[in-house]
Amino acid sequence: MSAEPTTPELDLSWLDLYDDPTSAEPTKKGLTLDAIDIGDYASQEDLPRDMTPRLRGASARENAHRQGLTYQTKHDVWADQCRSLYEEAVQRQWSSARDIPWDTLKELPDEKERAICQVATMLAEVEFIAGDVPGQWLPHISGDEFEVGLFLMSQIMDEARHTDVFRKRALANGGGLLQQGAGLGLRNLIEAQDFTEMSVLMHVQAEGFVQSMFRMGELIGPTQADKRIFRMAAQDESRHLAFGVMHLKHVLAETPERREEIHHYLDKAEDRSAGGGSGDVTFPPVFESLCILLGGGKDRFDEGVAKFLLLRRRQVKEYLHRLDVAGLGDRRERLGSALAQYAN
Amino acid sequence: MAEGEPTEGPITAEMRAAAQALGWEEDLLDRAIDWGYSPRTVVSALGTKLAPAQAKSFLDREPLKPDLTWMDAPTEWGVRAEQADADMGLTVGDIMVGSYGEIPDLWTDRTEIARGSNPQVGQEDMGYTIFEKAVVWTDSVADLYERAIRDRWAPATDLGWRSLEALPDEVEKAICQVMTEHSERAYAEAAVLGRWLPEISYGFVEMKLFMSSVIYDLARHAEAFRKRALSNGGGLGLQAPTDLIRGATEARTYPELMAYLFVQDSAFLTFFRHAGDLAQNQLERDLYALVASDRERLMEYQVERFEAFLLAMPDRREEQQRYLAKAEVRLAREWNDPAVREPLILLLGGSRENVAAGEAALTALRRRQVEEYLGHLDQAGFIRSRLHSGLAVYLEEPETAPA
Repeated sequence: MSAEPTTPELDLSWLDLYDDPTSAEPTKKGLTLDAIDIGDYASQEDLPRDMTPRLRGASARENAHRQGLTYQTKHDVWADQCRSLYEEAVQRQWSSARDIPWDTLKELPDEKERAICQVATMLAEVEFIAGDVPGQWLPHISGDEFEVGLFLMSQIMDEARHTDVFRKRALANGGGLLQQGAGLGLRNLIEAQDFTEMSVLMHVQAEGFVQSMFRMGELIGPTQADKRIFRMAAQDESRHLAFGVMHLKHVLAETPERREEIHHYLDKAEDRSAGGGSGDVTFPPVFESLCILLGGGKDRFDEGVAKFLLLRRRQVKEYLHRLDVAGLGDRRERLGSALAQYAN
Repeated sequence: MAEGEPTEGPITAEMRAAAQALGWEEDLLDRAIDWGYSPRTVVSALGTKLAPAQAKSFLDREPLKPDLTWMDAPTEWGVRAEQADADMGLTVGDIMVGSYGEIPDLWTDRTEIARGSNPQVGQEDMGYTIFEKAVVWTDSVADLYERAIRDRWAPATDLGWRSLEALPDEVEKAICQVMTEHSERAYAEAAVLGRWLPEISYGFVEMKLFMSSVIYDLARHAEAFRKRALSNGGGLGLQAPTDLIRGATEARTYPELMAYLFVQDSAFLTFFRHAGDLAQNQLERDLYALVASDRERLMEYQVERFEAFLLAMPDRREEQQRYLAKAEVRLAREWNDPAVREPLILLLGGSRENVAAGEAALTALRRRQVEEYLGHLDQAGFIRSRLHSGLAVYLEEPETAPA
């Protein structure tokens, strides 16, 4: 008896599937997702959505399993520019180990070291959740919108790096981790039952608040390493935020009847926490540590408070601006009370 | 100093005008100064354009006295992590020092608390389900994560897309079919792994960092394979068979998921290691090599996690046979799928005229995949009791032709 595995005759019917010979051309940014979004393989509005693992453009197998429920319309998950945001994420990956000038850390007054470690503790929590949330939505995105999935996968990597860099900061300069954050608002993100609900709460609101804070990193960070951490993290957050704003804009343009529903998500989130899913910056350990860093020490706490108020104003102002860009400019009139006091 | 700019002394006329314009109470600035706010702080408050009620709330009371009890949180203090290897920088492994490097066998906190920080009473349960170290952990995760970041590459720019030249029609289509299959497989595995991230508690943060890097690796693999299919006159072919990935989706626990994926992760690693044999150009050789390099890290995790799991939970050893068997039977079936098998025969044989040579080369590749799979299990300290016949057949000695 031959021990060779049986070798069926060649079928070769798979050779007959190519109706649209495709030669995508590299651009000056290389061969990008935009460059291969061509011909039969391009994203289309009216494709029937596939619940099997098939990615857009491949020929379907008649016996393919469904993998579970996926969104059936493009606008449920799509964001214009998600392809370029993904490509940017791939090009701008950075290393918390080697791209932060850890050698610029210097011994700080104890109160300042404790303050930056408290902020880092809070952020190491917030960024941890921000990695979990996109993960749970991946199976619900049809392969017809695989670019959205790729973007979320890049976000998972970004959030891992943020979790790691803030933990490193807390443990790199004679400090340690301190008090757990308030947790308020973080569950909002993981509780979301709809992709748009998740995106508006996480990408637009939570990451928006975090972004506004990171962009004040020049004031918050006591060392060059700290300032660099905030700058690098802000660069990543900008992409996540852009995805959220573009997704919301797409949803509102395609399904304007969802406007009140989206307001309702924001109503709930704004009522629940002053920081949305960004971690509650008014939680005393976080508020006080930020004020110490912004003011320059605990004996200049009141100056820190004044700058903290500026930060809050900036957070709310930028939040409203982003919603306005997305087409939800009327949010200003119904902003939750915890935020409204900073809106004028 | 510019006229009217307050730093010390009385409140300036400009400050009073600004307060009036904002509708603040007339004597609010005086009360704020009397109570100890510095003029600079008052100017800052004016700059924020606080509403009257808000300004009163902020300024019309004793200056805030911070509580600062958080500074005395009973956590380990005075940690100064040192870089063990200057070339690698400050790694996650470097900060696993003192109590911060202790990974508990059983993590008990159900919140999102960063391991090592001081718990806040009354926090909500975040819904994690994985609290046992033995289920997810291996000591190499921190190192694997940093290596993933160090070795990152970009499909758009790190492959020589402009070097591609036209290939015979059937060869190009065979390549495109392989790319279609593996683009889909990579994406689907990433999606499955992503779904498990919210299950894993903060006690094992370093493992989650590594798993995040795996998901990102798989995303780039899906991207790169798709780009190759669409860049040289071909296109996408028939979607991959769905049995194998469906089994991963069906996993009820993380150990089941990992045992099941062990089979395909091992088989695909071997495939990509040797895929240079089917590459038609330098771009494909580079692509396969980069993918194999990423998959090495995943397999290293798989082997070490499995070994640690089996040592910690010997009573679950026999159960793993079932998960492996389930994956093996599906893998063997998919290896015989025409759209999986035939493109490889054409590429390994060189053309339709060399089918016999292509089949022989594919059989050799499959044998290598099975051998290395058993080798990976052996490294994990696991003896596969009943290798599925669809894989075992590749290990049998071929009948020697009579002289």
